[in-house]
Amino acid sequence: MAEVKEKLINNKQKKKRFHLTKATKDKLKGLVFVSPFIIGVILFFIYPIYMSVKLSFGKLDNIVGFKVSWIGIENYLRAFTIDMEFAPMFLSVVRDTLVRVPMIIILALIISILINQDIKGRTLFRIAFFIPFLLGNGEVMRQLIYQGVDKQVLSIADGDIIPYEILNYFGSTIVNAVQTVLGIIVTVLWSSGVQILLFLSGLQSISPALYEAAKIDGATQWEIFWKVTIPMISPIMLLNIVYTIVDSFTNIRNPLLEYIQSYGFTKAQFEYGAALGWIYFIFIGFVVAVVFGLMKGYMHTNEVEEVKRRDKQKQRRVIAIERKAKTRA
Amino acid sequence: MTSKNSVGSSQLSVKQKQEHKSSFAEKYPKLDYFRFRAVNYLTSGSRIRQLIMRLALYILLIGLAFVFLYPFLFMIVTSLKSNADLSNFAVQWIPTELKFENYAIAYDILKYVRYFKNSFLVTSIASIGHIIACSFIGYGFARFNFPGKKLLFGLVILAFIVPVQTIIIPLYLTYSKFSWLNTYLPLLVPTFFGFGLRGALFIFLFRQFYLTIPRDLENAALIDGCGFFRTYWKVIFPLAKSTIVVALVLSVVWHWNDFYESSLYISKEALGFLPPRINSIISIVNAPPDQLFDLLANLGLEGGEDTLNNAVIMAGTTLISAPVLIFFAFAQRQFMQGIERTGITGE
Repeated sequence: MAEVKEKLINNKQKKKRFHLTKATKDKLKGLVFVSPFIIGVILFFIYPIYMSVKLSFGKLDNIVGFKVSWIGIENYLRAFTIDMEFAPMFLSVVRDTLVRVPMIIILALIISILINQDIKGRTLFRIAFFIPFLLGNGEVMRQLIYQGVDKQVLSIADGDIIPYEILNYFGSTIVNAVQTVLGIIVTVLWSSGVQILLFLSGLQSISPALYEAAKIDGATQWEIFWKVTIPMISPIMLLNIVYTIVDSFTNIRNPLLEYIQSYGFTKAQFEYGAALGWIYFIFIGFVVAVVFGLMKGYMHTNEVEEVKRRDKQKQRRVIAIERKAKTRA
Repeated sequence: MTSKNSVGSSQLSVKQKQEHKSSFAEKYPKLDYFRFRAVNYLTSGSRIRQLIMRLALYILLIGLAFVFLYPFLFMIVTSLKSNADLSNFAVQWIPTELKFENYAIAYDILKYVRYFKNSFLVTSIASIGHIIACSFIGYGFARFNFPGKKLLFGLVILAFIVPVQTIIIPLYLTYSKFSWLNTYLPLLVPTFFGFGLRGALFIFLFRQFYLTIPRDLENAALIDGCGFFRTYWKVIFPLAKSTIVVALVLSVVWHWNDFYESSLYISKEALGFLPPRINSIISIVNAPPDQLFDLLANLGLEGGEDTLNNAVIMAGTTLISAPVLIFFAFAQRQFMQGIERTGITGE
């Protein structure tokens, strides 16, 4: 009997040696699944990023071997001191984005709420709102805008919506603002297809029980919108805002990108092109970070996370009480 | 005790009211009839108000839909116009004659079949690459804890935010080292590793979907003796159908319309894509008249300014965007359902 027992114990030990624990298995599985991305990062991401940063801080001595010597932030300084075209172009792009992104988000939210209602021909409306996206940011849309189609829509949709007699009563800043908004509203609408769809998916995932509960508690539609709908779609709002910012910065109709690229390829000043690119990226990153920071406080968190957080707080309290008890003892 | 009492009294009062009502109706049948009419009138009034609100909603939606459909309608209508209709301002939506020749001319100038093949090949392979790779990677991020997960996910977000234009030069050099220039490889291979055109966004999309799937399914598969890879391929991946359709449509549309990267890596005309070919029509339409006949003769076409106009450009754009529109028409039903179920708010 004793021998059998020993054998069993030995077997158990052997098994332990050759079998991984569940946690390590999970780690390995995770790495297997993510491995394509890791390879991708090594092949197509790390090296270009590293080279591009290096280029922006240096001078290309030899194109053949791609040898770069360090010269510091000269390239970056050039963008703001010597280059007369970059700064104004940069500012105009920033201003454009700051106007467009909120407009896209608000209009997309309104439209998605309208389509989310129980109406006839819902699918047809959804398809209609997605058509400009299909025509794309590509050559087709460029050609359409070149032919002034967006302006035609305005003249048909609302004619001279605000007569000049009325505009004269306001200050020139307001008039300018109104005119810029009207000038771009059509292209804004056309480029909000993806955002509308993202919002729709967010609205669809809100449980109807929440709305019912709010109604029973006597909330008005207005209150329901601000206290149920907005918090519930806040995660998708964040995704949408980030997507819109990135999209509008990398849009091909963006004059700044063409400018950066002209340095990269036609003027063959790779270093300066890289520096411009990084200034641009730092700005995008900054804007995205600000948005994250602002939205974080208003973010609705999932119930599961909420429960986890509370559990942690409980644990902390328990530990604190135990400590107190120990010190007393 | 008090609460019970109050409940009882309220029940009583309701009963009393009912009795009172019935007695009221019995005593004054005419008055009751008027009351009935009045209540009916008021409720139907709110119905009218509802109806008006509905009507306003539909009008608003139809107006908005018109704005959204405008480029499409403009494109189709203009592509069918004749030269006389184009210059006639009275003809806006209904051409006096439908000129289908525009399409034939555009078709010839675009060399449609040849470039369609290129575009179709790259778009389909690249979007399939996106689906396979991004769903795979997204599953890894959604389900498993492994060292460096946060760092890697940070890289996903970084890859999403960094504009291609920033790293395009070293990327170009990398591809030239691989001697991939003037092939389709720079556009195809990265998609199989979760990169390529907005690959990071798709990884994010799939991760968010997989977070919403309960773990019970995988555990059941595990108990039945299914390996982890087979579990993914046979159980999880088919469940993601709705997300797959969404990602597929987005990927196809973006790849079809993209010409920034493709125009850099591919300089051989024979390998070019369909959408940039619109420039060939534009250059011919805008060419000075004395060169026009030579250009047309080269293409084996007859006619002159009156056959080559904006209508032909629009016919070209219609032809270029037609494959995407047809694809969307097929995917539409699944896509619209999918959008509702992607569960991007899962977290």
